[in-house]
Amino acid sequence: MTHRNFALAGGKIGTIIAVLVLLVWSVGPIYWSLATSFTSPTDLISAEPHFWPADMTLEHYAKLFGSTSMSQGNKVASVWPQFSRAIINSVITSVAATFITVAIAAFAAYAFARMKFPGRNVLFFVVVGTLAIPAYTVMIPLYRLMIALHLVDTYVGVTLIYVSAFLPLALWLMRSVYQSMPLSLEEAAWMDGAGRVYTLVRIIMPLAAPGLIAAAIITFLNAWGQFLVPLVFSPTLTTKPLTVLIPEFVSRNYVDYGLINAAGIIAIIPPVLVVLFLNRFLVSGLMAGATK
Amino acid sequence: MANLTISQLKKNYGNVEVLHGLDLTVNDGEFVSLIGESGCGKSTLLRMIAGLEEITDGTIAVDGRVINDVAPKDRDMAMVFQNYALYPHLTVAENMGFSLRLRNVPKAEIRPAVEDVAELLNLSPYLDRLPKALSGGQRQRVAMGRAIVRRPQVFLFDEPLSNLDAKLRVQMRVEIKALQRRLGTTSIYVTHDQMEAMTMSDRIVIMNHGKIEQIGAPLEVYDRPANVFVATFIGSPSMNLLDGVLERNADGIFIRTETAVIRVAGEISGQSGSNVIVGVRPEHLKIVADATEGSIPFDLDLIEPTGAETHLYGQTGKVLMTVALNDRFNAPLGSSLYLGIQEKHVHVFDKENGQRLN
Repeated sequence: MTHRNFALAGGKIGTIIAVLVLLVWSVGPIYWSLATSFTSPTDLISAEPHFWPADMTLEHYAKLFGSTSMSQGNKVASVWPQFSRAIINSVITSVAATFITVAIAAFAAYAFARMKFPGRNVLFFVVVGTLAIPAYTVMIPLYRLMIALHLVDTYVGVTLIYVSAFLPLALWLMRSVYQSMPLSLEEAAWMDGAGRVYTLVRIIMPLAAPGLIAAAIITFLNAWGQFLVPLVFSPTLTTKPLTVLIPEFVSRNYVDYGLINAAGIIAIIPPVLVVLFLNRFLVSGLMAGATK
Repeated sequence: MANLTISQLKKNYGNVEVLHGLDLTVNDGEFVSLIGESGCGKSTLLRMIAGLEEITDGTIAVDGRVINDVAPKDRDMAMVFQNYALYPHLTVAENMGFSLRLRNVPKAEIRPAVEDVAELLNLSPYLDRLPKALSGGQRQRVAMGRAIVRRPQVFLFDEPLSNLDAKLRVQMRVEIKALQRRLGTTSIYVTHDQMEAMTMSDRIVIMNHGKIEQIGAPLEVYDRPANVFVATFIGSPSMNLLDGVLERNADGIFIRTETAVIRVAGEISGQSGSNVIVGVRPEHLKIVADATEGSIPFDLDLIEPTGAETHLYGQTGKVLMTVALNDRFNAPLGSSLYLGIQEKHVHVFDKENGQRLN
């Protein structure tokens, strides 16, 4: 084997190892969670680890979805009422935050990209700069503010916080999307007789769709996975989402690993579906044919 | 139909003035080209007419009405962009009908109007395609069609042919001109291609560094360039220039250059003894057998046969010269030849300010 072939083979092996490490890193925990959710409580605490449940059981899922279930030989009420409520809460706050964030970003980013007004860049960097502020530092003042506005434990309150937290990123993304589009398209529309808003909505936004979708995905995933904000602002099941409910399955004298992992597996289904669905619209090449 | 009057038009970017008080009138139905090197301000001027650039000072008026503060959408002008700027998510028919839809023309009228224009531009088979499924020339036609379909008062063209290959460019040049003749719409056409400007225009505006150097009919600009800039900018190969001194005596008017004494026909301003520049177009030079009165010695460096013409490159003294012959020509490189000039084709410019003297 020549030196060159050796290097090539080495590179290939390196790539394979890197891919494997990445897969284990990202898919491993999900697999472990999935396996755990099917493992019987006795096996869960056995000293010998099992990479696949020795006795497959659906009892954890039964605890989630059934009306009653068996736990340690006792008949107990299932967590379905809380769990279903938390799913609804997660969906409502995440979807609302996504729609509002993307809608505001779609217009505001255009203003930052194309309109000329004094302080435009300063304002933009101040807005985007808020990304660098740790959430913990604003938590207490924010809590006082939300108390004063009677928005604690309301959908409006949680959604507003999500929007203010995720808008800067969406804005940043959309501004660069707009900036990369040829100005002549807008000018052509103006010459054709269109106003600014009409041009934005009918010409620019359809072409910026991949950017809008990407912003929606990022916002939705961020909102869905949010823990700290709802931990503080969603104290009751009125608005409590899955991320806050699931850890509560840990009781003082018993950690129900099976239930927690089953709930976790259910909780990742909606974001996976959202990404799969929106991904179809993330097509490139929308701009093909515009110029030259 | 519209007369366009531009007066004392200025444009600043920050503190830099890029257009220095332009005056230009474009008559109803006229085809006027703006030509100049890149950065001369021709596109800026066009965009100001369109309303896409703000006016720093001066006025633009259509039929006497000042439109400085009128939004682009209300100017009733159509623009064909250099990169076509087609709406990529709309079909050819939708692209062309876009402006009509905005004007609330009933759907039943839009389609026939679009079909008429498509017919005119040979686009009928492509009406339901997206722009990405068209060739460069077809996209260019769609951009034209989008401008034509609404029958605007003024057409603005911003180097519309510069992205096409040479053959297609010639073909589209002819088509645009024919179309403009037929529609009779006032048109302003920005180009850096002098062939386009010469062949298409009723008048040419030659711009340089934000100023208008000359406005005139194509042949007038070619035959009587107002100054050295225009003389060298228009014409390819470009005009030969020789430094000389003006001499008036009983036999007539002569320019004494380093290597020759050239007779000038007709009247000329400028005093005897003043420094001038003599200009002669390459096609107005011919090879003469021997040194005769007024002939210019020429050391041949290179022969370039183009097919239609033969271009000779060489030097007289230290000045490079180009000769364009209609016939085939052959001579050993390095030959010492003599060039004859027809005196009526001699251009004389002031050495100081570059302005035409004859």
